[in-house]
Parts: sequence; structure tokens; C-alpha cells
Amino acid sequence: MESLARFFRSPIAGPLSALILAVIVVSLSTDRFFTAQNLANVSLQVSGVAIAAIGSTLVILTAGIDLSPGSLVALTASILAVLVKILGLPLPLGIVLALIMGAGLGAVNGGLVAYGRIPSFIATLATFSIFRGLAFLVTKGTPIFSISPNLDRLFYGRMAGIPLPVIYVAVLYSITFVFLKYTSPGRAIYAVGGNESAARLSGIQVKRIHLLVFVLAGLTAAIAGVLIAARLNSGSPNYGVAMELATIAAAVIGGASLAGGEGNIVSTLFGALTVAVVQNGLNLNAVPAAFQNITLGVIIVLAVGVDMWSGDVGRGLSRVFSFRRKESG
Amino acid sequence: MAIPGRVLRRGRACQTLKPLISHDSQDSRPLWELREISKAFPGVQALDKVSLSLRQGQIHALLGENGSGKTTLAKCLAGAHQPDSGEMLLQGEPVVLDHPLDAVAHGVATIYQELSLVPALTVAENIFLGRPLTKAKTGLIDWEQMRRMTRVTLQELAIQMDPDAVVQSLSGAEQQLIEIAKAISLESSLVIMDEPTAALGLAETRRLHELIRRLTKRGKAILYISHRLDEVFQIADVITVLKDGLRIDTSPLAELDMSDVVQMMVGIDIEQHYPKEHNARSEVCLQVRDLVTENGVNGVSFDVHAGEVFGLGGMVGAGRTEIARALYGVDRLEGGTMQLFGKSVRFSAPTEAVAAGVGLVPENRKADGLFFNFEGPPNITISRLRTLLRGPFLSLVAERQAGREYVDRLRITPTSLERTVEFLSGGNQQKVVIARWLFSKAKLLILDEPTQGVDIGAKLEVYRVINELTEQGIGIILISSDYPELLAISDRIAIIRDGRILHVAPANELNEYKLLSIASGADASNGNGTLHM
Repeated sequence: MESLARFFRSPIAGPLSALILAVIVVSLSTDRFFTAQNLANVSLQVSGVAIAAIGSTLVILTAGIDLSPGSLVALTASILAVLVKILGLPLPLGIVLALIMGAGLGAVNGGLVAYGRIPSFIATLATFSIFRGLAFLVTKGTPIFSISPNLDRLFYGRMAGIPLPVIYVAVLYSITFVFLKYTSPGRAIYAVGGNESAARLSGIQVKRIHLLVFVLAGLTAAIAGVLIAARLNSGSPNYGVAMELATIAAAVIGGASLAGGEGNIVSTLFGALTVAVVQNGLNLNAVPAAFQNITLGVIIVLAVGVDMWSGDVGRGLSRVFSFRRKESG
Repeated sequence: MAIPGRVLRRGRACQTLKPLISHDSQDSRPLWELREISKAFPGVQALDKVSLSLRQGQIHALLGENGSGKTTLAKCLAGAHQPDSGEMLLQGEPVVLDHPLDAVAHGVATIYQELSLVPALTVAENIFLGRPLTKAKTGLIDWEQMRRMTRVTLQELAIQMDPDAVVQSLSGAEQQLIEIAKAISLESSLVIMDEPTAALGLAETRRLHELIRRLTKRGKAILYISHRLDEVFQIADVITVLKDGLRIDTSPLAELDMSDVVQMMVGIDIEQHYPKEHNARSEVCLQVRDLVTENGVNGVSFDVHAGEVFGLGGMVGAGRTEIARALYGVDRLEGGTMQLFGKSVRFSAPTEAVAAGVGLVPENRKADGLFFNFEGPPNITISRLRTLLRGPFLSLVAERQAGREYVDRLRITPTSLERTVEFLSGGNQQKVVIARWLFSKAKLLILDEPTQGVDIGAKLEVYRVINELTEQGIGIILISSDYPELLAISDRIAIIRDGRILHVAPANELNEYKLLSIASGADASNGNGTLHM
């Protein structure tokens, strides 16, 4: 009972409950959910959003917002296609260059915010448009197919029977978890988001932290872009449309506060999985696409709304359980 | 001479008051009568049964040290605070002011210390904020009429200003004048001015005083709050002195002289225990020469010795916090030099100050000091995380140990180890911020109002911590508006006014009377060190 009480107070309680609830509802609605094939599908589908959501979460932790990852996904996939297919660069070099470019464009976002003192919403709204435009520019507006015969293995390959994208997600989330919890810059991210003025007066280089989270957000969006290019073995300026909304939704459903300083990376993964499971359930039940968008919106409102009231519910539950323990003890 | 009391509706200017017999109408009924007003805030009795009468045509000055209750009393009259007990009578009729708009409806106009203008709007829009003039037929805003009325109001006050000028493009003094014009255009019968000259120069102050006299001729009552005694003695008819929320005296100006007033403001304090240890060493910790900033530090030089508590005394707005900001790399230096333990330093950002071993406990610990999203230990370790590194990773075990050590040492409540600091008392929160600088091994610590808003017990704890710090040879710059505290805890005190040091003396050669005289400008010699008493 004690551990149960502690669970209801912990920050992952809400997002994990939401995920479990989503899994239960979807598996009741159709018996095709709990098949190995379908679960593998869900994990492949969620990988791109989940990886880009790491960057969105880092930015949100500093009380900023990043609207550009969807456009950056399209630009990265397009650049990769151009570098490898048209310029004939070796695939590994093309991927490395695409990732460096992603981090560099993230630094542009971060530079505008930290040193140009442009609010992150505005700065990334601008680059949201610019990056998409650049993607159209480098591809001349048409998708580039069959980038490389070796590329799709990065997506469809398996290691020890586990799909590679699942491994990427697991590795990147583990690294981020350690980074946030066990390193100085990770701690500084929470400090800047919690109280920027106090962070500055405590000697933290606040501007560098703002720059850092946008560089990492650019990098994770670029990884997602490469992954999506690998999935279709092509680059297109139309990839990643509205993806920034999915990544922000994942962070928010995971309990990250847009005011900054609150949130954790594991919950973001639960948030991304919840969205994926619900979308999968709607697909399996042949619900029209229009309702899928509507459902995502409803989930966001419910997740944040429940979080607002859950203080009370969670405290109530934890009190009930700790109370029973006392009674029995 | 009774005017029947009327129930006034919120949001409508009180226009029913005709001027009573103005001026020397001591026998007539006062415009406002406050009876035994009390107001408490957590840990402080801000007002304790204060009574006051305000008469038409009279300038009533309210005097007292920082924290004596002047502003609280003004805010009760302005409807911004509600008294816990006591009565407020407007021309003999009891009224309750639940909201600032109630006060406005009852003819009370208030000019606060902090400006209440909307920076992005024009002068005219600000003056008619919340009550725009409209055309009778269409209900649309009558811009022409608003401009004309604004021009008339400004002219009346002999203020040269374009009604269409955007407020943020004007100087602080000009904004203050708009604030006054706004209050006067409200058809008020009582104008409350809280430190109206704080942002004004000499010429503007004189103009304001002329203006105030003109207002009294029109039968308005003025409540004038200031800590500038010289000013008050030029303008007031009646003076009331507050101390620690109590009314000490109310007398006509003619019956008072300045030294009486200072004596009353200082009062005789209830004996308080200040556990002061003298740990100053000969070694100089910080040497400052000719410090100048844009933000109002005008050539400041002083030394702080290792283990010394160097106090900065002065009124609110005198420039004490600005000196701290300059030393800490927050404000850019325009001139001057600094040496820390003999080494020349120049900080362009707090990061550099922290790296060099300077710490700041800011005045507003909630806004500038604490991380409410962290428990106690991360709040304590944030300025020196590198000591927790084991390889590239932070050791959370070491952090917990350090947290426990400082929680024990500074007697911070153990709940701070488990819960975010939001839930701690003010005293515990303050000790968490101080612990941060102990942990980071600061050599010079700036404490800006370290005991503001904490209870007596926690104050003693803070003094004890100061002793512990000085014993280790840490130099301390103490900014405090609590003069008895400043006198008792400091080794030496610099008295600041207008961004300058007027006087430096060992604390035991000063007393509250001297301190206040120099800081408030009541001292004729203006602080060149030759006080005759």
C-alpha cells in the first residue's frame, strides 16, 4: 500500500495511467490490437514522433517552445536525398552531414532566442516556415525516391529480433534520462525553466542553456527526419507536416509544464505512446481521418485538464491508501 | 455644516462634495476620519489602532521609517487593503472600501510609489483609463474631447506635454506628473501621494509643491507620504509620525522641529537581542573605487574587510540595491575599479562574479533566489555543481549528503530534503539561499534585506549564520532597512543617498537618530561627517 501511495504522487503516475487506459480501451474495441504484427507496427509508427519529442521536451523544460521540428524533419530528409541521390555522397557521410545540419539549424533557433532575444514562439514560427521553404527549394518541390538501397535497412532492420527504431528510441531516451538527471547542464535546464532570474543570479549561463536545448531539439528532429527518409527510402518536402503538434502533445500529455521546470523524459515517451495507441485503435476500427484529428485534440485537453485537477485526485488517492495503511498498522 | 451621507455607487466619481469652509477649519468635521485602524500581515502587525483625521484644504504628512506602516495606511484608504478592524468615516458616515474602485467612487485619488500607467498608451488614454469619454449619440470614444480635457488638465498644472505622446517615451519624472494629473482629473476630494518626489528632480519637486498648494486652495485634502524630512517641512500643515504600526504623534507643523520628528521616528526600541560577534580581520576582502553605473550609482568607494559585516544604510531607492547589482555584474559599470583579495576583477555577468567567489542573497527571494521546482538540496548545490561530479555525472548521493549537512548546520527544517522549497517558511527559504553560498564557498556575500518578512526566531537564526560566515573570514555586505538590525549586526556602516556614500562610520559610533538624519536629508550638514547634536 505504501508503494501504491507513492506511485500516485510520482510524476509518471498520470501519463502511465493514461497509456494503460488507452491500451485497455483499444484492446477491448478490437482483437487485432494485441497481435505481434500490430504492436510492431505501432512501435515503428511512433519512433519518429517519439525521437523528435525529446527535443520538444527539452525546450519546454526551459519554458520555451519549438514549432520547427516538423519542417526540420522535411528539410533533413530532403537534404539527405539530395546529398546521396543527386550529389552521390556515400550514405554514412550523407547521414552525418544531415544530422550536423539539423543541429546547426537548431543553433539558429537557439541563437535567435538566446542572443537575438526573440521569443521562442516567434523565432521558431519563422523557422517553421523557412525550413519548409528550404526543403522545397533543395528538392525543387518534388519527392526524391530510392535514395539508397542500404537506407531502408536502418528502419526495417532488426537487432536480436527487435526492430531497430525501437532500439533507437530506447537508446536516445536512456541517454536523455541520464543527461537530465545526472549532468550539470541537465540540472541547469530545470533551473532555467524553474526560475530564470534565480538561475542567472546563481551563476548559470542562461543563454548557453537556451542555445543548448535548441541545438539538441534540432539534432533529434534531424534524427527523426533521417528515420522517416529511411522508412520510405525517399526525401520529400511534405514530410513531417503538423509533426510539431504531435511532439508538443507528447510532452504535454507526459505532464511537462509549458511554464518550464516541470516534466520528465520518461513521461514524454508515455505521452507519445498514448497518442500512437489511440491513433492505431482508430485505424483498426476504420474511423475516418477527420475523427482522428478531433480525438488527438480531445486527448490533449483531457491530459492537461486531468493534470490540473489531478493534484486533488492524486493526493486524495494517496491519502486513501496511506490512511488504510495506518489503520491496518 | 452637515452634508447628508450618500451611498455612492462604484465607478462614479464623487461630485457631490461642495467645498466646505476650507483652510483653518479645525473645528469643522474632518473630511475623512480613521478610527483605530488595525491591519496585520503574516508575522507583522503593520498597523495597530491608528487614528487619523484628514481635513479639506490641509496637507497632512505621514512620516515614519521603512516598514512603519505608512504605505499600509495609505492602501487602506485607497481600498487596496482592507483593515482587520477599525472604522473609516467620510464626512461622518462610515464607509467600507472593498476595492480600489470603491475608494475612487468615494473621491479618493491615489498616486502610488510604483507608477500605474500603461506604457504603450498615450498621455490622454492613460488619464482617462477605464473611463473613456464617449459621444452621446454613437457611444464611440470621443478622442477630440479627451484630448481637449487632457490639455486643460495639463495646463492647469502648468505641465508642458503632448496629450498624444506615448507614455513609455517620456521620462520617469514626466510619467510621475501624468500620474498626478490623472489623480487630479478624477474630481477627487482626497489625494494620497506616496513618495511622489522619489523620481523627481529639484525643479520638478518645486513645481509639484506649487501644484499641491493650488489643490488645497480648491479645498482638496492631501495625504503626503515621504521620508524626505526637508520636503515635508516645506509643505505640510500637519504631521503624523508612525512607528512599528503605532501612531506616535500628530501635531501641526508649527509645533514641531525636525529633530523632534526624527526622535519620534526612531523611538525607543524594545530591547532586542542581537547576537553580534566581531570577526573583522585586517585583510581587505573587497576594495571598490569610484564605482559608477547607469542605474544610479554615482561614484562609490569603500573597503570590506575579511570577516567584516559592512552595512549599507539608506532609504528605499537611495541606491543600495543598485550598488549590489553593480558589484555582482548585473548592471554594467561605467567607471570604477574593484579588487577581490588584492586581485583586480571586473564582472560583466553574475556567472563571473559567482566564479570569483561572490554570492548574492537577493531582496526578493521568491522571484530571484529560489527554484520552486526543486527540493532543498538542488537549491543549495546549484551554484557549485562541479563538486558533485564523479566523472561526467552528478552524484545524487553526494548531493543528498551535502543537503543534509547544510540543513543541519543552518537548522533548516528537514522537510526541505523531501519537498520543494515552495512549501517552506520564509525563514527556512532564506536559509536555503544562504546555504547555497556556503556550499559554493563564496568569499564575499551580499545580503539584500536578508530578514525581510521572516519571523523573530528566523531572524536570530540568520544573525547566527552571519556570525558563522564572518568567523570563516567571509566578507559581508549587508543591506537592511531595519535600522536597529543594521546598527547591531554591522561592523561599519556606509550611509547612502542618491547613489552616493555620504558617510562611513563604525556602527558603534552611529545610532538610529544619526543614521536617519543623514539618510533622510534632515541633517543640515548633509552628511559630511560633522554632526552636531
